[in-house]
Amino acid sequence: MTEFISISWTQLAIALGLVSISAVASLYYHLKLERDLFIGVIRTFAQLLAMGYLLNILFGLNNAVLVIAVYMVMTFVSVHIVYGRVNERQVAYFAPTTLAVMLSYSLITIIVTKVIIGAEPWWSPQYFIPIGGMVAGNSMNALSLTLERFFSELRTKRNVVEMYLSHGANYKEATEGIFRTSLRAGMIPAINSMMSVGLVSIPGMMTGQILAGADPQEAVRYQIVVMLMVVGSTALASIIVLLLVRKRCFTPAMTLVLTKDHTS
Amino acid sequence: MYSPLPDTGLPPNSTPVLEFTNVNFSWPGGAGLQNVSFKIPKGQFVLISGPSGSGKSTLLRLIIRMEEISSGNIYLSGTSISSFYPPELRTHIGFVQQQPTLISGTVRANLLFPFTLQSRKNCTQPDDSTLLQWLQKLALDTISLDAPAQVLSIGQQQRLCFIRAVLTNPEVICLDEPTSALDMESRECVEHAAEELIKQGTSILMVNHTSYHPTCPHMHISVANGTVSVLS
Repeated sequence: MTEFISISWTQLAIALGLVSISAVASLYYHLKLERDLFIGVIRTFAQLLAMGYLLNILFGLNNAVLVIAVYMVMTFVSVHIVYGRVNERQVAYFAPTTLAVMLSYSLITIIVTKVIIGAEPWWSPQYFIPIGGMVAGNSMNALSLTLERFFSELRTKRNVVEMYLSHGANYKEATEGIFRTSLRAGMIPAINSMMSVGLVSIPGMMTGQILAGADPQEAVRYQIVVMLMVVGSTALASIIVLLLVRKRCFTPAMTLVLTKDHTS
Repeated sequence: MYSPLPDTGLPPNSTPVLEFTNVNFSWPGGAGLQNVSFKIPKGQFVLISGPSGSGKSTLLRLIIRMEEISSGNIYLSGTSISSFYPPELRTHIGFVQQQPTLISGTVRANLLFPFTLQSRKNCTQPDDSTLLQWLQKLALDTISLDAPAQVLSIGQQQRLCFIRAVLTNPEVICLDEPTSALDMESRECVEHAAEELIKQGTSILMVNHTSYHPTCPHMHISVANGTVSVLS
């Protein structure tokens, strides 16, 4: 462990100047992004500072119930973000998404903290919260991609699905191809990121550890665990959500619930 | 509104292959079909006509439960269609969509795909010679069974969809404008094949916009303004 340079409030304020490039671009080219940019900066400061204080408290208290409670809040927020992004109102997919998120995030996070890292106890906030956050963040993107693709394919390929159904296919047979395409859409970004990692990009977690003075070899091993964990969690979350949502896209008479062009 | 039932040629007490009794259907917007009642005996040819958007396709879709009736009942050989497991119901009824829809793959794969489904796991799939006979019957004998189906013309795809529905030997076949993209010669092939099936006891309901008059005895159903009338 080497010494690391601490960032003061003044230095943080100077860093804020970098955002001015985006602000000037938005004003000059009439992008109308000023409001989003302003809110984004405020939220970045507020959310991360709050998280920092919260982690300080959590580390100090070392209380399992509190750690799990924070973790639950993180997962529920991610469900809401997925729900907002997908914006499909003809199929009730909130409950299946919540279940998929709870099952996949918890399973993968516990495996990583308890079995792979071997943290003692497994809910130790120093490991459980950051690992859980990374699982939630990446799986959330995968879930959005999977669900968006699934609903849009069901609409655009409605004729094909109905053709299958009219020949006696059940809902699983009628959506086999769409299921596969949607699952791929959710899984591919995590798999692709394994291809470029270390060549094109140095991932955030590893960068953070190195900047904080950790041995790069240690940081690399953690990063590999994170990459593998993300691949596993995105696949698991996507599979569970598709298995649960697919049936809800059909009526008891096995016809499609989704109409051609209504998203809300 | 409901027209009096014509003489369907059914012997007294015999079970019609298809029966609508006081069926009502409404779209979310409100319009739909009102008080539809008719009986179709085994081996009957039924022509369905009416203006665009009048509900002809909907009438066919109600039979395979692709649309759900609001009230009344539809019976298949005396059993209410709602008491069937939907995929099982659809194995009894061949359905050809208005727009020909094929899966990616060869002509053979398209013709045989219904036999790969769970609901037909106990059915024997036809051999190549049967498939070739059907292709010949519908003037598609220049097409190889190994040819990719997606590159066929719309007219050829339409006939392929007809063969696919027929190969499973359903009791009733619903054809939604099966000849809309066909030239006169190909149309006659489909019409002739349909009339052959009638002789073998299959019942056929065909939505048609052409001036086709089957040579076999047939019923004519007209759909207009939400009313279904049996004309002959």
